[in-house]
Amino acid sequence: MIFTSFNFLIFFPLVIIIYFILPEKWRWKFLLISSGYFYINIKPVYAILLLLVISTTYIFTRLIDATDSQERKKTFLLIDIILTLLPLFFFKYYNVVNEATFNLLEITHLRWPLPEISWLLPIGISYYTFMAIGYSIDVYNEEIPAEKNFGIVALFLSFFPLVLSGPIERAPNMLPQFKGKLIFNYYKLVKGLQWILWGYFMKLVVANRVGMYVNAIFNNINEHNGKSLFVATLLYPIEVYADLGGYSLIAIGCAKVMGIDVMQNFNRPFFATSMSDFWRRWHISLISWLTDYIYTPLAFHFRRFRIWGIVIALMITFILSGLWHGANLTFIVWGTMQGIFLSIEALTNKKKKAFVRKYNLLQKGWYILICSVFTYFLFAFSEIFGGASESVTAGFLTIKKIFTDFKGDVWYENPSMIIITSISIFILFVVEFKAEYYKGQFSFFGNRSLAIRFLSYAFLVIMILLIGVLDGGQFIYFQF
Amino acid sequence: MTNKIKNNIYVRVLIKLVLLFGIVFVVDFSIGHLLRYLYFSQQSGNLYRTTYSLEKTKSNLLIFGSSTANHEYSPRIFEDRLHITSYNTGRDGTSIFYQYAILKGVLKRYSPKMIVLNFDLEEFKKSPASYDRISSLLPYYKTHPEIRSIINMKSPEERIKLCSRIYPFNSMLFTILVGNTDFNKERRKDFQGFVPLQKMLNKELDSGYYPEYELDSNKIKIYRSFIHDCINANVKLYVVCSPFYNKLEKFPNSIILGQKIAHENNIRFFNFLNDTSIINYPSYFADRNHLNYKGAAIFSNKLIDKMINEEDDQSALAK
Amino acid sequence: MTSKEIIIEKLTSVFREVFNNDQITLSNEMTAKDVGSWDSLSHMLMIEKVENTFGLKFKLREINKLKNVGVLIDLIENKTTC
Repeated sequence: MIFTSFNFLIFFPLVIIIYFILPEKWRWKFLLISSGYFYINIKPVYAILLLLVISTTYIFTRLIDATDSQERKKTFLLIDIILTLLPLFFFKYYNVVNEATFNLLEITHLRWPLPEISWLLPIGISYYTFMAIGYSIDVYNEEIPAEKNFGIVALFLSFFPLVLSGPIERAPNMLPQFKGKLIFNYYKLVKGLQWILWGYFMKLVVANRVGMYVNAIFNNINEHNGKSLFVATLLYPIEVYADLGGYSLIAIGCAKVMGIDVMQNFNRPFFATSMSDFWRRWHISLISWLTDYIYTPLAFHFRRFRIWGIVIALMITFILSGLWHGANLTFIVWGTMQGIFLSIEALTNKKKKAFVRKYNLLQKGWYILICSVFTYFLFAFSEIFGGASESVTAGFLTIKKIFTDFKGDVWYENPSMIIITSISIFILFVVEFKAEYYKGQFSFFGNRSLAIRFLSYAFLVIMILLIGVLDGGQFIYFQF
Repeated sequence: MTNKIKNNIYVRVLIKLVLLFGIVFVVDFSIGHLLRYLYFSQQSGNLYRTTYSLEKTKSNLLIFGSSTANHEYSPRIFEDRLHITSYNTGRDGTSIFYQYAILKGVLKRYSPKMIVLNFDLEEFKKSPASYDRISSLLPYYKTHPEIRSIINMKSPEERIKLCSRIYPFNSMLFTILVGNTDFNKERRKDFQGFVPLQKMLNKELDSGYYPEYELDSNKIKIYRSFIHDCINANVKLYVVCSPFYNKLEKFPNSIILGQKIAHENNIRFFNFLNDTSIINYPSYFADRNHLNYKGAAIFSNKLIDKMINEEDDQSALAK
Repeated sequence: MTSKEIIIEKLTSVFREVFNNDQITLSNEMTAKDVGSWDSLSHMLMIEKVENTFGLKFKLREINKLKNVGVLIDLIENKTTC
C-alpha cells in the first residue's frame, strides 16, 4: 500500500497506537511484523526477494566480521555485493542488455534471441539493495560491527516507511536506534505529524496538480508548440520535487512519530546557487550514498590526476546515478549532463571564487537571484532527459521545438486549472522562501500560539480537500 | 488521581488530536456548505447546465453525450423542424457514466418523448480518466440517490471521501465563483445547452485507421442500461455517430459493438462518421473531432432528415 | 620546532593553497564545515597535495576515518616518524 492510499491511512494510525501501547522492548519486533505485513501486501512474491537480500546481507556481514584475514574479508564483500546486485540488475536491466546483446549479435549474423521479460520492477528494490550494500561496506570498513540479531537486520532493510522509496539510510544511524530505547517523545511525535501533513500537501496538491499539466504536454510532444514545451520543462522539476520530496517527508515523518530519526532527503533545492550546491540539496540520501561508496573511492584512486581525477570520478558517479534511475539511454544522457555541469564548476571554481570575492557578490541579492535561476534552468533542461522524455529522440525533439517553434499560445485545459496550480506552487514557494531566508521568523508550525498552529494544520487539510488531486495520480519514484 | 490523568502525556496528545479534528470538522462543514450554496446558485456555465439537465429540464427531446454532443446538436433546429421542445445535455469531458446518470435524473422526473445519444469513436475505451471525471457528479450525491451507484464506480473509497463537505467541490472553487458572475453568461453562451464553436479547420482531409484500444466492460454495461431504461420509459431513442474529420478505412470496435447492441434492442443507430457531404468541407469543423457552428447546423438538419425518413418508412411498413 | 609544529606549518600552507584562503588557521577540532571551499570536490585535492608535500601515501580506510584536522595531523606524524 502506498502512502496515498486509504489502506495506509488506516494502517499507520493503528500501527502507532499498538506501538505505543506495547512495552518498550517489544516495539522493534512489532515494527518488523508491521513492515513484513506492509511489504507482503504489495506482492508476496517480491517479499521473498527482499528476504533473500536480507539473508545474504546478514550471512556475509557476519562472515566478514568473523574472519581476521583482510583477503577473506574482501572476498566475502565482493561475493555479497554481486549476489545482492543480481536481482536488481536482472529486473532493471535484463531487457536492455538482452536487446543490446541481440542487436550486437545481429551484426555478426548470430541469432540468439532470449525471451523479453516484462516483469514489473519489485517495488523498493533499488532502495533496499543500496541500503544492504552500504551496510556490508560499512561492516568491511569497520564503521559498524556486523549485527548478530537477524531480526534487526531484517527490520533495517524492510522498515516500512523507507522500504518503498527511501530515503536511503545507513546502518550506523538506524541499527543503534532500533536496538536502543524506543520511547515516546512528544516533540518527535508532533514534528513527525507536521512533516507528514506537509508531505501530503506537497504530494497531493502541488505534485499532482503540476503533474497533470506537465504530463498532458509531455505525453503529446508532437501536438504542442515550443512555448508550451518550454513551460512544461520549467514546471517539471517542481513536480518531481513535490512528488519525491513530499513522499520522503511522509516517510521521515512516520519514522519520527515512532521516535526514529531518519535523514532528510531534500533541503529546499531550488534555492541552490550552483549545481554543486544543488546536489547537496536534492535527493540527499542517494547522492550521499553515491558520494561515500562510489565517488570517494574513485576520487581517491584517481587522485594523482588532481582535478582531472575529480572529473573522472564525477562523470562515473553521475552516469551510475543516471543508470540507477532506469535502464533507458535518456538517464545516461542525464547523468552525463550532471557530470559535465559539476566538472565545469570544479574546473572553474578557483577563478569564480576569486571573482565573487573581488566584487563582494555574495552580499548582492541580484547575484544570488541570477545564480539560483540559472541553476534552476540548467536542472530543468537536464530533466528533459531525466524523466520527461521517453527516449533520447523525444528529448532532442523537445529541445528543438523549444528553440524553433516558440510561438503561439501556451496550452492550458481551462483557466481554473491554471489558477489552482499556480496557487499550490505559490504556497510551496512562500513557505520555502521563508524557511530559507527568514529562518525562525513568521513561523506557522512552530508558532507559540496554539491557535495559529492548529489553524495552519486545518488550512493545509482544507487545501488538500479543496484543490488536491485525490484520485488517479501515480507516484513517479515507484518504478525504482 | 485526576492530576495523574491530566499529566499523562498520552491523554494530552489525545485531547489535542480531538481538538484538531474538531477544528477541521467545523471548517470543513462551514466551507463545504458555503460551496454548496454557491454551486447551486450559479445561473450559467457547465456546472449550471448539469444541474439544469438533472433537475430542471422538461424538454421532450433531449440530446445526450460528451463534447461532441454539446457542440454539434442545435436544439433550436430540432424545435423548428420537429415542433418539439428540445435541450442539449451534452458536456465536455464526460463519458457514458455521466450520461447515464443524467438519464436517471431525468427519468425520475418525467419521460421525454425522444432522446438522441451521441456515440463517440472512443465510447467504450478503457481509460482511468473516465472514472476520475465522474467527479463532476459528486455535488449531487447527497440529493440524488438514484445516481449514487454510478458515482461509487469512481473508486471504492468515494463514500469515505464524501464524509468531507468540501470534497464534492474539489477543483471546482474558481469555476463556481466565476459561474456566479454575470460575466460568465456571455463567456461561452449556450443556446438551450448547445455551445457552438467558432474555430475553423484548415487542413487536408486524411484517410486512415483509427488506433486500436482496449474496451471497458463497465462502459458497455452502462450503455446497455441506458438503452434498457429508455425502452422501459417508452422513450424513442436514437444513437448517432457524428462526422469525424478523417476518412476511416475501418470503424473502431466501439462503433461496431455499439451498433450491434442497438440493433439487438431495435434501436436506430445512425452513422455519419464518413458522411462526405460534411467531411469534405474543413470549414465545417473546429477540429478533427468537433463541428463548428456551421457544421452543427448542417449536421443537425441532416440528422433530422434521417429521423423523419425513418418515421415515414416505419409508418409505411406499418400500413 | 617540534616535528608536530613543522607538520602544522606545512599543512597550513597546503590548506591555504588548496582552499584558496590566506586566512585559514588550523585547529584540532577543525572540520570541512569550518572552511568554505572544503567539500567533497576539493577534499581529495587536499589529500593528494598532503601526500606530495610530506612524501607519504594514505590508504582509503585512513582517509575515511579522518574526523577532523587533529586526526589528520596525528596521522601525518605517525606516518612520517616511522
